[in-house]
Amino acid sequence: MITIFQETQVLVCVGSGGVGKTTVAASLGILAAKEGKKVLVLTIDPAKRLAQTLGIEGSTDITKVPGQNYKGELYASVIDHKKTFDAFVERAAKKSDSAKKILNNGLYKQLSTSLSGSQEFTSLEKLYSVFESKQFDLIILDTPPTKHAIDFLYAPQKLSALFSEGVAKWFRDPEGKKSGFFGHMLQSGTKQVLKILESLTGSTFIRELGDFFMNIEQWQAQLLQRTVDVHRMLVSPTTHFCLVTSFDQAKLKEAEFFAREIRKGGYHLKTVVLNRVFPHWLNLESNITGTSQNEELLQTYSKMKTYYADREKLYQQFESRLKKDVRVFRIPDLVKDISDIKGLEELGHMIAEGEKV
Amino acid sequence: MKQEIHFVTGKGGVGKSVVAAGLALRKSREGKKVLLVELGDQSFFKDFFNEPDVAFKPRELKKNLDVALWSGETSLREYAKYLIKVEALTKLFFENAVMRAFINVAPALSELAIMGKITSGPRDYGPLVPYDCLVVDAYATGHFMALMRASKGMAQAIQFGPMGEQSRSIDTVLRNQDICHYHIVTLPEELPVREAEELKSQLANEFSLRPQVILNKFLETSVPLATLKEAQKDATSDLGRFALYLEQHQERQRGLYQETQKNFDRLIQVPLFFETDPWKLVELISERMV
Ligand SMILES: Nc1ncnc2c1ncn2[C@@H]1O[C@H](COP(=O)(O)OP(=O)(O)OP(=O)(O)O)[C@@H](O)[C@H]1O
Ligand SMILES: Nc1ncnc2c1ncn2[C@@H]1O[C@H](COP(=O)(O)OP(=O)(O)OP(=O)(O)O)[C@@H](O)[C@H]1O
Ligand SMILES: [Mg+2]
Ligand SMILES: [Mg+2]
Repeated sequence: MITIFQETQVLVCVGSGGVGKTTVAASLGILAAKEGKKVLVLTIDPAKRLAQTLGIEGSTDITKVPGQNYKGELYASVIDHKKTFDAFVERAAKKSDSAKKILNNGLYKQLSTSLSGSQEFTSLEKLYSVFESKQFDLIILDTPPTKHAIDFLYAPQKLSALFSEGVAKWFRDPEGKKSGFFGHMLQSGTKQVLKILESLTGSTFIRELGDFFMNIEQWQAQLLQRTVDVHRMLVSPTTHFCLVTSFDQAKLKEAEFFAREIRKGGYHLKTVVLNRVFPHWLNLESNITGTSQNEELLQTYSKMKTYYADREKLYQQFESRLKKDVRVFRIPDLVKDISDIKGLEELGHMIAEGEKV
Repeated sequence: MKQEIHFVTGKGGVGKSVVAAGLALRKSREGKKVLLVELGDQSFFKDFFNEPDVAFKPRELKKNLDVALWSGETSLREYAKYLIKVEALTKLFFENAVMRAFINVAPALSELAIMGKITSGPRDYGPLVPYDCLVVDAYATGHFMALMRASKGMAQAIQFGPMGEQSRSIDTVLRNQDICHYHIVTLPEELPVREAEELKSQLANEFSLRPQVILNKFLETSVPLATLKEAQKDATSDLGRFALYLEQHQERQRGLYQETQKNFDRLIQVPLFFETDPWKLVELISERMV
């Protein structure tokens, strides 16, 4: 049994933009199915060919991946942010009237999709709803591209902070009159703050904004409850994080930072995948160099080899600093887009092999 | 002299930061006073160049080349300070818990604040940004489009008042190609090229912009196929396996190169340099920035 999946019900693949989260998530899915698990890979914005391979192009339903012959079963799905968000709004805004009001709010119309953290929010929302259904042994979650790996964890917190601070209340009742004397004490100055905001932005903006927040206020209870549930799932000992990262000084430093932060937050980081570390042909230990008459070939070869040998030193330092309870895998660069089953299996195989050493 | 503003974007990990640094270095060598701008609240260049700190206030990297880190919150704070003028009030504003939570997620506010700061020179608005040239190491594709769309969306949603006015003036500057220049970095790989194509048409359709495309990490070799095949015969040796790799790599690269030639009218190439020293790498890249 591969240890990555041991006592794991949810595996979250995080990492900064473009490092290979989607690819690694899909490969791990195949690996788990081979191990006999009924597994679901929840992907985000997969490349067209990968989506075709998984049988989920143009659909957002949970689909059994075609052409598989594994001990277990592999399912995949693309997270549709808009659909997930709409579903949430409908559930949260019980009175359909207010749902309509929001949809007609000028600000919302223009900018709802750019509400920061909304993709992270919908990813977790989707994950939680599948998790609740208990249909799968294992769910692997791919995450949206962020600037830094840690952004994924901060985003939902930021969104819920907005609700717990009661912005809507603030717009409706800037002086806290309704919350009595103590409320008033606490909120003194709020009116002034609102005035400042108005002088910076203008009254039309404030009106639209107030309207927006007042309409979404009724989501507050649901959103907070959901945040608590999702958080409980994320810190559960059966939820594991897998950090996918590329291999350069800045990224390795970030990975170390992430590993520290995630532990502080009570989450379980079990694996770090260093992706595209070196070209697949490279074997630094090998001394059999072979010969060729071609100068350019020899030169390119030796330049590359020296370059990667230097980077190898970097890696050694990095691994020694990471704690022992994190497994570090190194995946080579495969000079092709890994979008067919064979490519994904190959990558999965490398992870399985990496476990043995 | 009118200030020039360069935005460098592209898929995650393609080389935006080092290309932005290379471009900034190049401009500074041309005698311009240049500010390299990072976005967000964590600096890449601090670690990359091993600097003690990179913050909102510019710091010197080299002669004529400074670096700064601008986030939505720090930009907004400066803007507020500029307008409110009274330090105590600004403090009250930013220390209010609701305000803080709000700034973090309010639709487009942070994007608007950043773009407002970047375009403040040409708009002649706000504190002076005393540089001839700004090079912005911008967000990756999706988030970059959110930056671009914020002012346009806000201008449409809010017709009146300072917010609407500011948004309109930011949008006007962003569309002015005498001032703003756009660079999409991509790699000779399928996905980054697709993303670059999409981004290029979005910028063209929504803003009538014509970005430059930079094909980065291009492997500049031309070992004949016959030689590669010959070397592969020795399949057990490192060189044999390398020859196979090079053959596959050259083939893939050629295909994507032809595609980029066809689809991008303003295209430059930057080779893959086997260089681990940060300044040497940036120096090499700067030589290719035209
Ligand atoms: N080990 C590897 N060798 C070669 N190519 C790889 C490897 N890992 C990933 N790739 C390729 O890199 C590209 C980016 O990978 P992927 O889409 O999985 O990244 P991501 O982290 O999900 O990106 P985003 O943050 O934009 O969602 C894809 O074209 C993929 O095929
Ligand atoms: N032309 C090149 N030759 C050699 N190395 C390069 C080249 N371009 C980029 N690199 C290296 O590739 C890595 C990624 O580059 P960089 O950090 O600039 O990408 P980025 O697009 O800014 O990434 P992110 O999306 O994470 O901000 C770095 O290690 C950088 O040194
Ligand atoms: Mg992805
Ligand atoms: Mg960068």
